[in-house]
Amino acid sequence: MKILVCLKQVPHQDARLDVNGDGTWIKEDGIKFEINSYDTYALEEALRIKDAGEAEVVVASIGPDRVTQALRTALGMGADRAVHVNDAACQGSDALGIAKTLAAIAKEESPDLILMGLMSDDGNASAVPPMVAELVGMPSATAVVATERSEGNIRVERELEGGAVEVVDVPTPCLLAVQSGLNQVRYASLKGIMAAKKKPLDVKTAADLGVADAVGTAGAKVKIEKIYQPLRGEGAEILSGSTDEIVSSLMNKIKELGLL
Amino acid sequence: MDFRFDEDQELLQTTVRDFLEGEITAEVVRGLWETKTARSPELWKTLAEIGLPGMLVPEEHGGMGMDEVDFVLLLEETGRAGLAEPIVATAAVAAPMLRGVGGDLAKQWLPKIATGDAIVAVGHPSLPFVEDAHVADLLLLPAGDELHAVLAADVEITEQPTNDPSRRIASVSFAAAEGTRIASGADAAQLWETAFDRGALACAAQALGACDRMLQIAVEYTSERKQFGKPIGSFQAVKHHLAAVKVKLEYARPVVQRAAHSVASGSAKRGLHVSMAKLVACEAAVFGAKQTLQCHGAIGYTWEQDLHVWMRRAWSLDRSWGRSPAHLARVRAAILEPDARLGAGTTFSNA
Repeated sequence: MKILVCLKQVPHQDARLDVNGDGTWIKEDGIKFEINSYDTYALEEALRIKDAGEAEVVVASIGPDRVTQALRTALGMGADRAVHVNDAACQGSDALGIAKTLAAIAKEESPDLILMGLMSDDGNASAVPPMVAELVGMPSATAVVATERSEGNIRVERELEGGAVEVVDVPTPCLLAVQSGLNQVRYASLKGIMAAKKKPLDVKTAADLGVADAVGTAGAKVKIEKIYQPLRGEGAEILSGSTDEIVSSLMNKIKELGLL
Repeated sequence: MDFRFDEDQELLQTTVRDFLEGEITAEVVRGLWETKTARSPELWKTLAEIGLPGMLVPEEHGGMGMDEVDFVLLLEETGRAGLAEPIVATAAVAAPMLRGVGGDLAKQWLPKIATGDAIVAVGHPSLPFVEDAHVADLLLLPAGDELHAVLAADVEITEQPTNDPSRRIASVSFAAAEGTRIASGADAAQLWETAFDRGALACAAQALGACDRMLQIAVEYTSERKQFGKPIGSFQAVKHHLAAVKVKLEYARPVVQRAAHSVASGSAKRGLHVSMAKLVACEAAVFGAKQTLQCHGAIGYTWEQDLHVWMRRAWSLDRSWGRSPAHLARVRAAILEPDARLGAGTTFSNA
């Protein structure tokens, strides 16, 4: 069994984020990056399948040199090999450009299962996984919170609104986009990190994958117009007095606004 | 010469930091304070799975086979986490001591250190008490000019009070016997000398981490706490305190890292470099404790505020593996010796 896990490297959750000069993204210089938290659950799920039997786990990511660290960490956690699309031409790709690149990797690898995080901590679009599934012609399920494998099938539980859970049988090969909390993610060991140096890490370009026209700002159908910090609102009023006075004052204001 | 750490060393540091940030919170440290031993066998086992106790254990014994330069960044992370498990004694001191002794003792105990199945405490002849003797499986102890390896069952331990609930020290007595002696004379002296340097170096590295963590806590607090409509950290009277800590910390870090290189390479100046590192790192940490407490004001004195977890670690590390006078004496001796080579041209010399 071959499992492809798609990872994204995102700014560390504790990183201080400042908007860049042209206001279209954040300043990436000098901040720490980490593997997208949702993707770590996808990787852990793949490694558990590997631990339970015969499986090869391939991790793939797109981005500059710094992404090597994310892939080395994944290899250190137990993945078998990595594919790194390191091509300046990919800079500025939209979700579809990313999906086409990952789909091209998937077509080369022909995995039995593709695992991805439901969304990225920075983009929050949840767009890439279904796009990849469509491009490679695989059935897919998103917001996966539990899996149970059987021959030619994976039964998944999907998280729906309001705490409801949907149970779906997905025939393999398939793509699953996992929700956070699916499992307890392991830590990479120091020995694993050192052993990871000897594991294959293939570096590719968009042209190698035949998607040069689909990536980068030129290939993007969606462009980020503006990134900005939420503006501080005006007119907030803090009510004071005893509890009864505050409640009375609040009720009057609600009535004044015609909301009651 | 390129003094920077390489990508592998930085990735190992990131890996350990991620693990410690996830697993060793202030709540975990406080929880351990409430236990009888202040230590957790489960945590020690997890640390072994990550690979920390086995960093200096040779690969043929199941360890990482790394050296002090690889280890120093990770030790700093353990200090940043406030981790009090016996990493210094077992991983930084006992493992290389046993490696130096070699033979059946090394074959028996080094694999256990790497797998987290053994804790080894070290009672250095120059130190009055033994840290973590209460949880040790094996103790390396002095008797005259000899070095003995004694099983926990064969020692008598009297625990001593400390002002850091994380720090457990004890006076240890045992009956020296032929069967427990593993080195004597010059061989033992050499092992004890390097052990002292390794212990002091590890404490210095942990002190850097503790200082950095206190600074982080204080920066966060002074950025949130407002007075006169502004964060108190914006006032010079506050931020200059913290800037002074940052300066001390950044000046201390390369001294510690140089000492790590000296220990790893067996430099003739190893003792001097280690003592300088211990002095400046612990001075930074103790100074950091004082200044960050000052910046917190009264809230800093409360039990609920986490700052004191690291303040206590700073004070403990300052006292561990040689107090300041002992290290000052070594530096003074090196500087004042008649043929001391000082000044330009000798800084990076190992002679």
